Amino acid sequence: MLPRILVSGVAGLLLGLFFWVALFLGNSGPVAADFPGPSSNLAALPKGAAPVTDTKLRVLAQALALVEDQYVEPKPLKDLIYGSIQGAVSTLDSHSSFMTPEEYRELQIETKGKFSGIGIEITLKDRILTVVSPIEGTPAYRMGLQAGDQVVKINGSPTKNMNLNEAVRMIRGESGTKVTLTINREGFTQPKDFVIVRETIPIRSVKARVIEGGIGYIKLNNFQDQTDRDLQTYLKQMGKQLTPFNGLILDLRNDPGGLLEQATRVADEFLKSGLIVYTEGRSPQQISRIYATGGQKIEVPAPMVVIINEGSASASEIVAGALKDQKRAFVIGTKSFGKGSVQTIIPLEDGSALRLTTALFYTPSGTTIQDKGIIPDEVVQEPEIPDSKSLTKVREETLKKRMRKEGLTDKPWSQPITAQELDQDPQLKRAVEILRNWPPRKMTQQAAQPK
Amino acid sequence: MKPLNNKTFPSRRGGLLYRALPFFLIFFLAAAAAQPATAPSSSQGYESLRLLTEAFHEISQKFVSKKSEEEIVHGSLRGLMNSLDPDSSFLTPQEYKQVLSGPKTPLAEAGVDLIYKDHLLTAVSVMEDGPAWRAGLRPGDHILKVNGQLVRNLTTQEATRRFQGASGTSLKLNVLRNGQVKPLDLTVNLEPLAPGRVTSTILKDTYGYIRIPYFTQETPRELIAVLRPMQGQRLKGLVLDLRNNARGSVDQAVKAASPFLGDKEVASTKGRPPEPGQTYHGNAREEVAKLHLPMVVLVDGGTARASEVLAGALRDQFQAVLLGSKTVGLCGLTKVLPLHDGSALVMTVAQCYTPKGQKIHGKGLEPDVQGKTPQPTPGVTTPAKLPPEQDPWVAQALEILKDKKPQRLAEKAVKP
Repeated sequence: MLPRILVSGVAGLLLGLFFWVALFLGNSGPVAADFPGPSSNLAALPKGAAPVTDTKLRVLAQALALVEDQYVEPKPLKDLIYGSIQGAVSTLDSHSSFMTPEEYRELQIETKGKFSGIGIEITLKDRILTVVSPIEGTPAYRMGLQAGDQVVKINGSPTKNMNLNEAVRMIRGESGTKVTLTINREGFTQPKDFVIVRETIPIRSVKARVIEGGIGYIKLNNFQDQTDRDLQTYLKQMGKQLTPFNGLILDLRNDPGGLLEQATRVADEFLKSGLIVYTEGRSPQQISRIYATGGQKIEVPAPMVVIINEGSASASEIVAGALKDQKRAFVIGTKSFGKGSVQTIIPLEDGSALRLTTALFYTPSGTTIQDKGIIPDEVVQEPEIPDSKSLTKVREETLKKRMRKEGLTDKPWSQPITAQELDQDPQLKRAVEILRNWPPRKMTQQAAQPK
Repeated sequence: MKPLNNKTFPSRRGGLLYRALPFFLIFFLAAAAAQPATAPSSSQGYESLRLLTEAFHEISQKFVSKKSEEEIVHGSLRGLMNSLDPDSSFLTPQEYKQVLSGPKTPLAEAGVDLIYKDHLLTAVSVMEDGPAWRAGLRPGDHILKVNGQLVRNLTTQEATRRFQGASGTSLKLNVLRNGQVKPLDLTVNLEPLAPGRVTSTILKDTYGYIRIPYFTQETPRELIAVLRPMQGQRLKGLVLDLRNNARGSVDQAVKAASPFLGDKEVASTKGRPPEPGQTYHGNAREEVAKLHLPMVVLVDGGTARASEVLAGALRDQFQAVLLGSKTVGLCGLTKVLPLHDGSALVMTVAQCYTPKGQKIHGKGLEPDVQGKTPQPTPGVTTPAKLPPEQDPWVAQALEILKDKKPQRLAEKAVKP
């Protein structure tokens, strides 16, 4: 199995800060991919970095034996080993980590951009398992599940006291199998059973809208296997619908990143030539320069504005950095997160895996993103959340908005963004202004020429 | 409540061992030194070790910069001990040498008790009006960064040491508070620890209120000093406030229980056989006579160690009602076990139980009555400490006392 490379993983904690923490069925968190990374063939590795010697391992073996024999209660050896590996890895840096087999499987689902389930987003609302929204075109949607439905039982097991992960695990399952959800809904005299056949559900990381005046709006939630393909689909459709195509807004706010390969592909969509990113590591295999390809692609014949914030990390920063350095886009918003390292997923023999920082990346102009982030061409602040407003309150409001399908990307993509929607989002509003008065003064002449 | 007939003196076999160090560090140097360096012998053990070797190999070959072998191994020992419980810890050779040279009282500190658990450093309790409290830190806060450095792979003990140092040293903390959107930046200046005085007050309708901020050697004496005058005051009941109190040893808890329980059992510890168990009794001579008061003990998520032992004993032996929220569940005895390379493990080898046999360590005590969740005041991000007269849980405790609930329970228990 090839190692997988990812540029993501703003700590989960941070995600929790910026998003309401509902568990999207699959559509969340960091991702990894099938990117031809360095071979895990040991013979191909550089010499010199000596593996941990026997003396050191003996100390560990001694410690393990002591814990096994004398800790106040017996612990499975596997847990102890996992704890040890976890400790070793987290000593390295804050982006390296250890995944148990279960966590690794979850990551694989997320990176593939699809999973097998019924297609609902669920959350715990006032401790009750509640449907946030059924995803259009999925079995849950076809069977008539609605936002706000309370899931009382899953296959007969009461969901009371169940945590979100357990519930998700029970609802998911192999394609073609059935799951029975007992649903309580306003207007029902008693809970009703819905028998739903699971199937493969695509996870959409790309959402879009259009804005009056021939402007397209694209939002990337993360970078997974399907991201670039989905992006192409929207660009194609926009090219047809928007005549003339006067501008494109790429929204990378709160996008924690994902696959390195997908980041370069996304950047490549908008660049004709030149460097996108280069990486440097300890071994020669980790040094690479990735250039834009001149080949077939959907050309966007329009100026671009990229919006970033401190939740835009890794892969997002690669895209924003490349488009900024190449003067392909005008970048606005606030300074990005500042994670300039590449992680490789290294599966271990028992199904667990390491996520190891193996390289650092640099934008075409040679600047590191690490700790510095991408500085926007024009700083546009997000509306302040008042300090007095609690996280619970923010989550509640976001959840309500989602359940009523009031979010910017909850509506059909071809439905134009209204003036009211723009008023609620000063950064987006500014992006539209810039495109309507293109080119912005700060941008150099040669860069502003769309073909 | 009558003292038991068989007068036993405080039975604290091994008490000498506990006296030396806070947090129940015991040294069993001889035993550990005799421990042979055996690897797990089962085939499953062999496989697991292979997994560890594989992981180490990948790390040493592929991580972006070269790390020393020692750093990796010590990191993994930290991870191993962290996976057990927050009291288990790892000492580098230097740290172990310092421990061997004798316990040191830190010159100055932040006045906070921390635990590192699930990769998060949390302030379990913050001493009221101590340096960290004044800087705005509150119990339950998660510390994300110390002096700009992300907190990761620390042990509870290491984290604690970072919050100690020379007087005047300042620490910049980046803190995440539950329920708040943005992390806070706080600056804490270390100071010598102020004595944790036991305070008391008489509330309306002659109910007594006693606050123990944390446990010291002086606590039992101070407690007796505030209880004695209460004897003559015909109190109707007593509220003992053990919230936000995570510091103190089993020994101190046992002594602090004596005024209430005389020589009754306060707690016991059990280890993994052949580790011996032990029962702790109070001292009959320190019992404050005629203190047959109905009592409510306030506990919360900052109640740990000595205060959990005392709360459990008062519930089991004094018919006290526990009011508030679940306690932390930190009450174990640890042993220091040296390793071949001069480093050492600190490992929990026994756990505390209440007199009725309820396990405290890892579980915590559930309150008998849940404290009402306070409504956050709009605009106030850092709550101030309320005087007992205005404290909603104290008011709730008084309602219970007026309702004579503990008394009824007590009478029932006293009559055969």
